[in-house]
Amino acid sequence: MTALTEILLALLLVTDLSLAVASRLLHSIKIVALQGWIIGLFPLAAWCWRDGMPRVSFYLIVAVTLLVKAILLPAMLRRAMYKAEVKRELEPLVGYSLSCVIVLAAMGMAFWFCRYHIALPNEVPALCLPAALSTIFTGLFIIIARRKAITQVIGFLIFENGITAFGLGMMLEYGILVELGILLDVFVLVFIMGIALFHINREFAHIDADQLHFLRDDEKERGAK
Amino acid sequence: MMPLLLIALPLAGAVVCFVLKLAEKPARVCLLGVSALETLLAALMLFSPIAGIRHSICPDWIGCDSVSALFLWVTILLFFLVSLHLCAWLPAELHFGEEGETQKLHIFFSCLCAFLGTMVLVMLSRNFGLLWVAVEATTLVSAPLILFHRGRRSLEAMWKYLLICSVGIGLALFGTMLLAVASRATHAELDMAKLLNCRDAIDPAWYRAAFILILAGYGTKMGLAPFHTWLPDAHSEAPGVVSALLSGALLNCSLLGIVRVASVAPGAEVKIVSHLLILLGIVSLVVAAIFIVRQRDFKRMLAYSSVEHMGLLAIFVGAGAFKLGIIHLFGHSLIKMALFLVAGNILLGCGTRQIPLLGGLLKDMPRNARLWIAGILFACGVPPSPLFVTEFALICRLNIALSATVVALLFIIFAGMTYATLKMTAGPSGEATPPSERAAAAEKLWYVPLAALMLCTMIGIFYLYLIAGGAR
Repeated sequence: MTALTEILLALLLVTDLSLAVASRLLHSIKIVALQGWIIGLFPLAAWCWRDGMPRVSFYLIVAVTLLVKAILLPAMLRRAMYKAEVKRELEPLVGYSLSCVIVLAAMGMAFWFCRYHIALPNEVPALCLPAALSTIFTGLFIIIARRKAITQVIGFLIFENGITAFGLGMMLEYGILVELGILLDVFVLVFIMGIALFHINREFAHIDADQLHFLRDDEKERGAK
Repeated sequence: MMPLLLIALPLAGAVVCFVLKLAEKPARVCLLGVSALETLLAALMLFSPIAGIRHSICPDWIGCDSVSALFLWVTILLFFLVSLHLCAWLPAELHFGEEGETQKLHIFFSCLCAFLGTMVLVMLSRNFGLLWVAVEATTLVSAPLILFHRGRRSLEAMWKYLLICSVGIGLALFGTMLLAVASRATHAELDMAKLLNCRDAIDPAWYRAAFILILAGYGTKMGLAPFHTWLPDAHSEAPGVVSALLSGALLNCSLLGIVRVASVAPGAEVKIVSHLLILLGIVSLVVAAIFIVRQRDFKRMLAYSSVEHMGLLAIFVGAGAFKLGIIHLFGHSLIKMALFLVAGNILLGCGTRQIPLLGGLLKDMPRNARLWIAGILFACGVPPSPLFVTEFALICRLNIALSATVVALLFIIFAGMTYATLKMTAGPSGEATPPSERAAAAEKLWYVPLAALMLCTMIGIFYLYLIAGGAR
C-alpha cells in the first residue's frame, strides 16, 4: 500500500501550500479539517492488510483521531470564530505570495536535507520526513506571520499535525494511552484557547495578537498598575 | 496502588470542586483536605517501612523511583504550604484586592487540585510519551489560574503562556518521537527503565536531534533563556499564590523531563548533552542578570530570579552534580515560594508592583518587609541559605573560566536584587503607602513564608555543618 501513503503525504504538502496562501479564515479552517482527514486515514493506508487484521485498539485510535482532528477541532475553531465575531480576512503580516515562496523554499530545504543527510529505514515512505518537516514549518510560519490570535491557534494545529504525521509515517508505536493522551491535550488546549479568544475579543474589542504588548520589561508610563 | 492513588486523589478533588460548583468555604476545605491527605499519603509512601507500598499496578506506565521520590516530596510539601497560605489569603484578597471580575472560584479551585494531580503524574510517569502528556496537561490546567483577575494584562499573560509553552512542548513531542526512532533497535517503546538498561543501543545521531528538541521544548516550560519569554509575564500577572506554585513546583516538572532524557544518553553523547545544558544555563544567568538590574516590577524581578536558578540547575545537571542540584532545587523551591507569597502580601497591602512607588515598608508592613529581606538574601545565596552551600560546591567543581563567569553573574544579580530591596523596605515611605486596614490584613499572612524560610535555614545550617565537618 505504499502508493496510497505517498499520495496522502503529497496531499499534505499541497494543503501546506494552500494554507500559506489562504486569505479567508473559514477557508483555512476547512483546509485544517482536510489535514485532519489525511492524518486520520493515514494509518489505514499504511497498514499491510495482506499480513492480517490489526487489533481493536488500532481502529479505536483511528476513530478518535478522525473524530478529534477532522470534526471536533475545526468545529470548535469555527464556533470561536463566530462567537468572537472575527473579521473573516486574515490580514497577514507577510504577504501571500511571499508566504508561498517562503513555504516552498522550506519544502525544498526539507527535501534536500532528508535526501542527503538522513538514512531512513526501508519500510518508511520516502515522502514522510520531508512532508512532516514542511508541515511543522508551515505551522510555525503561520503562527509568526499572521496577525490574528485565532490564526495562531490554526498555526498550532498545523504544527501538531506535522508532528503527528512524522510519528505515523515512521510507524512509531507508543501505546494507546499516550496516543489518546496527546489527542486529549490538543483538544483541551484548543478548547481553552477558544474561551480565551472570546475574552480577548471582549477586552480588546478585536483579536489581533500584535495588540498584545502590554507586558514588557521597559514599561514606564504605559499605565502599569 | 499508592502511586495511582496519589494521582487520582487530587483529580477527584478537582472533579468534586467543579461538578458541585463549591462556593468559597467548602472549596477551601476541599483543597486543604486534598493537599493534607496527599502529603500524608506521600509521606507514607516515601518513608514508611511497609514493603511493597511503592509497588504500582502498572509499573510500565506509573511508578516511583529514587529521583521521582525526591521531586515528588518537594512538590507535594510545597503545594501543602501554598494551600495553607491560600486559605488565609483568599478572603483578604476578595475583600481588599484588585477591582474587577475574578475567575469563578469553583474553576479556580478545581484547576488548583488538577494542577497538583498532573504534576504528580509528571513525577511518577515511567514512559516518555506519558511524561509529555502530563507536562502538557500541567500547562493546560495552570493557564486558567493565571487569569484569577480577569483583565487585559492577565489575558495577555495567559495567551502568551499557553501559546509559547504549547509550541515549545510541541517541539518536545517531536523530540520524544525522534527518541522513539533512535531507540527503535531496542524495542523499548519509550519505556524509561528499559531505555536506561540498553542506552548504548540507542542511535547517537537520532538521539542528539531528539535531545536538542526536547531541551528546547521542556526548556521553554522550565524558563531557560532564550525560551523564557512567557515566564516573567505569567509570574507577574498571576496572583502570588499561583506564582509561588508556578515557580516553585511547575518549573521543576520540566527539569525532571530534561533530566530523564539526559539520563538515557548513549555513551558517545554524554559530553554534548552536558555542554548544551551548561551553555543554556550560562545564557539564562546572563539574561537574568541583565533584566534584574534596575527592574521596576518586583514580581518580574522574582521571575527573572527563577530564570537564574533554573539556569543554575541546568548547570548542575550538565556538570554531573545531580545530588547537589536536588538540594539546590529544594532550597530554591521553598525560598521562591516564600518570596512570591510575601510579594503577594505586599501587593495586597500596597496595591502596586512598581518598585519606584514603594518605600519604607519596614515601617508600614514590618513583618512582610523583614520576610522579604530575608527571602531575597536567601535567594541570592547568602549563608546560611542552602543555596550558598550548593552554589559554592558548584563553583568549586567547574573549571576556572566558567566558575569566574558564574560568580560574576551571581554578584550582578545580588547587587540588582538588594538595590531593589533597599529601595522598597528602607528609607521614607513611597508614593504607594499602604492604607492601614489593607496593611493589617497583609501583615496577618506571615506564617507560611516564615515556616518555609525557617526550614531553609535549618537545611542550610545542616549542610554548612557537613561541609565544615568534611573540611576538618
